[in-house]
Amino acid sequence: MHELSLVNGILQAVEETAKENGGNVKSFKVGVGELAQFDLRIVRQLLEDTRRGTPLQDVEVAIEVEQSKMRCMSCGNEWNFRQLSGQMSEEEKEMVHFLPELLNSFAKCPSCSGSFFEIESGRSVRLIEVVFDD
Amino acid sequence: MTTETPENLNFRLGMIRRHLKGVGRVVLVLSGKGGVGKSVISAALAAQLAGAGKRVGLIDADVYGPSAALLFNSNSLPEENEGGLTPPMVDGVNLMSVDLFASGRPIPLTGHGASQVVLELLALTDWGKLDFLIVDMPPATGDIMLTLTSVGGNQLEAIVVTMPDVLSTSVAHRVLELLHSGGTPTMGVLENMSRSSGRRSVGKGRGPRALAKEFDVKFLGAIPYDPKVAEAVNEQDIGALLSTGFAKELRRSVASRLLQ
Repeated sequence: MHELSLVNGILQAVEETAKENGGNVKSFKVGVGELAQFDLRIVRQLLEDTRRGTPLQDVEVAIEVEQSKMRCMSCGNEWNFRQLSGQMSEEEKEMVHFLPELLNSFAKCPSCSGSFFEIESGRSVRLIEVVFDD
Repeated sequence: MTTETPENLNFRLGMIRRHLKGVGRVVLVLSGKGGVGKSVISAALAAQLAGAGKRVGLIDADVYGPSAALLFNSNSLPEENEGGLTPPMVDGVNLMSVDLFASGRPIPLTGHGASQVVLELLALTDWGKLDFLIVDMPPATGDIMLTLTSVGGNQLEAIVVTMPDVLSTSVAHRVLELLHSGGTPTMGVLENMSRSSGRRSVGKGRGPRALAKEFDVKFLGAIPYDPKVAEAVNEQDIGALLSTGFAKELRRSVASRLLQ
């Protein structure tokens, strides 16, 4: 349940940003990377439960799934996490759930089997933007 | 309507600061150069402080060559909780390492990827209350050092480890310069695998003692090369490591100072 820790981190960052800006938060957007393999319903529920009774309670929240994209540094091939489904065990996927960069340890490029690839998108949870009322 | 840009929204930095709030002192063990004994020093130091009754954490920030899990002979996964991940307690030390997840697999990361892993580990690790967090730093002066020195706050202090040869001391000099320019408090310079008690470097150049003097920091001591260290490391036995002459010198040079 480290999702809750990340959700708390996001909400605290939104509140701190609001304090720094001295404005009212109108909305904020959270990106959930495919590699984190979070259940979106749980993330949404945690965001609702955690901000209840706080100044962020009635703020609009958008949650956006960010598809993964990896690019092989050897052959240039681009692929996504779903294309690796047969390559990794459930236990290995769980390690990537904690630390998305460990995909580099457990997966190889589907085209050339190279281990050196970059995760270009979809790694974990991130705060994409915070919008304030002027 | 104004929108805050993503660069200002790295919420993980805030998580790291909050998770370090319960930590009394954050001790970075660094050298800039590999092979000088940082990991063994970090592990032994953590175990010595824990043995003295202190609450101690050890994080292995060397994601390319993690060794803390091996040294402590641990493969226990951290436990998930509402505050993040609770590190396993091994020999009295709260241990966090990427290798607890990678289990000896290669970790082929770009520089950006490596610093992301360290950031994520630090953001997620719920240390609770600690007297000391020992950070086994990677052999480089890049993003990871910059990140840690920027989020460590006023609990932060650095120990610069060097061997007596000119290759090590020249890199240690660069590290000390960076620490100095960044305003990171430096506890001192520790000479490891010593043959000359820090008075001069092997070959031409400044010795570790002169290095400490130049930057106006303590020369913590010179730990002689001890072949029993390799035996204890091979046995993955922290108890055996703590019974070596190396550990005795480390206790005198560093642990006793931290415990004062």
